[in-house]
Amino acid sequence: MTPRIDSGFLFLIGATIAAAVLVALQSGPGHALQTALGALGFLAVLLPKIGAGVVIAATIPVLIPRERISTWIGRESGVKGLAAATIAGALLPGGPSMAYPLTASLLVSGADLGASLAFVTGWSLFNLNRTLIWELSFLPYDFVAVRVGLALLTPILVGMLARAIWKPT
Amino acid sequence: MNILIGTVLLVGLALWLWRQLPDGDARERARTEVKRLAVFILPRITVALIGAALFAELLPAERVRELFGSGSGVTGLALAVLLGPLTPGGPFVCFAVAAAGLQVGASSAAVLAYVTAWSLFSATKVLAYEMPLMGQSFVLKRLILSLPIPFFVAMGAALLR
Repeated sequence: MTPRIDSGFLFLIGATIAAAVLVALQSGPGHALQTALGALGFLAVLLPKIGAGVVIAATIPVLIPRERISTWIGRESGVKGLAAATIAGALLPGGPSMAYPLTASLLVSGADLGASLAFVTGWSLFNLNRTLIWELSFLPYDFVAVRVGLALLTPILVGMLARAIWKPT
Repeated sequence: MNILIGTVLLVGLALWLWRQLPDGDARERARTEVKRLAVFILPRITVALIGAALFAELLPAERVRELFGSGSGVTGLALAVLLGPLTPGGPFVCFAVAAAGLQVGASSAAVLAYVTAWSLFSATKVLAYEMPLMGQSFVLKRLILSLPIPFFVAMGAALLR
């Protein structure tokens, strides 16, 4: 169960309050309030998008259970296996407390270093929850599209390089 | 892409996925997950959006443009790549900083380098989870091989402009 309040959220609240005080000192409390209200107006515009992101992020794990995603990794060899590991990483819901134990168990159950690295890299770069809900709420669509498009093949490259450099014995 | 088209596409995808849920039990599980995610995300996104707007007011725009503007070159990118992993907190902090940076005139290349470096090398993630669970050798290999990725993405984006 995710805690309602964690250290990351507390940090965010603290930083935001500090920023509000500084803006109030710099340009007056009225301006700070106006800035904060402007952001709330922006939130109203974003809500449908956030709602859709939440529904997508909640539905995919029900449609494709985690156990099925993990069987994609290490089953296929070659570049196909690396591509499957990348996609599995992108689709895996949840944060690092989910992703790394899964990777560790994959390594133990026989996935090679290349596939494991492709999985972690794919998860780091394309993690669907984070991209759909957080990144798209804060950053423009074309920015996100350029980032994903340019980085798309890099987890496969990382996996191929790892296989070439650290050959399995 | 315009915000309206993007929203329509996302809502369409959400509806389509929801219709793929096979039965009432699956819909119930998805509903529980929607509630859990919403309770987690809404307070954070509200505070982070307010924070981002306030940060943008405080950022010294001229200094940001100097360090991370389109004329800042590889030095600006390297600095952005360094700052990414040092960002504390969750994704909301990183994306709030990125949005504030874009707003006051950092180049998209520098912001892409920052976001990509944070995704790959967030110190919180690496130190708290990856090191203990995966071991030093795995982490080092991953870091060495992925270090070029933020630079590659940023330079690719700069060339596309």
